Amino acid sequence: MSDEMTHESIDELAGAFALGAMSADEAAAVRAHLATCDQPHAELREAFPAGDVLAASLEPVTPSPDLRDRLMGSIERIPPVAHPSAEPVKPPWPRPGWFDWISPRVARPLAVAAVVAAIAVGAWNVSLRSDLDHRDAALRAVAAAIGNGQTAFRVDGTAGRGYVVDTPGVGAALVVADLKALPADKLYELWLLDAAGTPVAVGTFTDTSGAVAVLPVEKDLSGYATFAVTVEAKRVDAPTTTPVMVGDLTGKSS
Amino acid sequence: MTDSATLDDEALLVQQIRSGDRNALGEVYDRHAPVALAVALRIVADRGQAEDLVHDAFVTAWQKIDRFDPARGSLRSWIVAIVRNRAIDRLRANRPSMEIGEADDRSLLQTGPNPTWDDALARLGGAQLRAAVAELPTEQRDAVELAYFGGHTYREIATLTGVPLGTATSRLRLALARLREELRQSDAAPASARAGDDR
Repeated sequence: MSDEMTHESIDELAGAFALGAMSADEAAAVRAHLATCDQPHAELREAFPAGDVLAASLEPVTPSPDLRDRLMGSIERIPPVAHPSAEPVKPPWPRPGWFDWISPRVARPLAVAAVVAAIAVGAWNVSLRSDLDHRDAALRAVAAAIGNGQTAFRVDGTAGRGYVVDTPGVGAALVVADLKALPADKLYELWLLDAAGTPVAVGTFTDTSGAVAVLPVEKDLSGYATFAVTVEAKRVDAPTTTPVMVGDLTGKSS
Repeated sequence: MTDSATLDDEALLVQQIRSGDRNALGEVYDRHAPVALAVALRIVADRGQAEDLVHDAFVTAWQKIDRFDPARGSLRSWIVAIVRNRAIDRLRANRPSMEIGEADDRSLLQTGPNPTWDDALARLGGAQLRAAVAELPTEQRDAVELAYFGGHTYREIATLTGVPLGTATSRLRLALARLREELRQSDAAPASARAGDDR
C-alpha cells in the first residue's frame, strides 16, 4: 500500500483502520491523509467505534477477588495526576510562572545527553565546558540514546535554566546552563517533592565552573510533582531557603 | 451506560479521579473490569496474564486520566482500548503499541455522535451484541476476530485465510457495515425482544 492514499483506498481500508488491522506505516499514511483531506470519509468515521461493540459483545469475566485489592494497593503508592480541573497542588513556596516548553527537538537531545554523560562519568559536579571532549562524547552518545523514551522537564529560576531528565530505574539527571557561582560556604541542594509538597533531598553540588553542568539526581522522578534546587550551607533534610530553580513534573514533558 | 444520568455519573467519576479520589477509580474498576478482563482473556488466553493486563490498564487510567477525552468515547472504551492494545502488544511483542495512535485516530474522525454504535452500546445487552456479531457471514466474522482479538493486520489476515488483499479488506469493511446495520435493526426492536441482557 503506497503512502499516497486516494479517497477510494482510504474507504476500502475503513474496516482495517477501524479495527487496528494495519501496519504502523499504513496507519500513519491514513492519518496523514485524513489530517489534510476535505472529504468526509463517512464510512471510515462510521466504522471506527466497532471495536467498542466487539468488546461489549464478549461475556463479561469476573476478576479474581484479590485483583481489586492489588489495584488499590498499587494506586495507593502513586500520587494522582495533577490536572487543570483538579484542585491545584501547592508547593511549599510560590511557583514562578516559567513553565513554558521549548522545542522537544532541542530539549530531548540535550536531556538525553545529560543522562548519558551523567551515567558515563558517574561522578558529581561534572563541568562539560572544561572538558569539551566529554561534551562531544555525550552529544555523540545522544545519537544512540535518542528514542529511548526518557522524559525531560523544564527547570528554570534565578540561578539558571535547564532540564531534569528521568531515567526510571537508574535515577535522573539535571542538566543546567549558566549556573550562578556560589560563595565558598554554600552549596546547591536538589529536591523532589510529592503532590503534598513533602521534600526529599536528592543530591548536592558546588562546582559551577562550566557553562553546562550535568548533575545526577539520586532518585528517579516517578511519583513526584515538583523538582527544585535551593542554596544551603550544608546538605539538609528539608529546604531552608526559597528555591532558585523549580520544575513542574506534572505537566507535559518535552 | 444506559442513559444520560449514567453518563453524567461517569463524568463525575472522571472528575473525582482527576482530583485524586482513589475510591472513584475503584468504582470505575467495579463497573468496567469484567469487560476489560473478557477482552484481555480473549486475546492472551491466560487468566493470570489477563488479570495483570487489567491491573496495569487501570493503573494507567489512574496515572493518565488527564488524557481521557469524553468527546472521543466512553471511559469504558478508553480502558478497553488500553487493555486491548497492551494485550496485543504482549501477544505480538514486536508490534508497536497503538494506544496513542488510536486516540489520535478518533480525534481525526470524531465529528459528533455516532447514533448507531452509541445507541447499540447504550441500549443493547451483551447477548444481543453477541447475536449481532454471530449473524455475520463466517468469513467476515473470522476476519473481524482475527483483526480485533488476534491483532492481525489485513495483510496477515489475507495470508492466514488464503485470500487476496482486496478480499481481506473488503471482508473487514463489509463486516462492519453489516454489523452496523444489524445493530440499527436491533435498536428498532422493542424492549421485549431484548431479553437475556447480561450486561
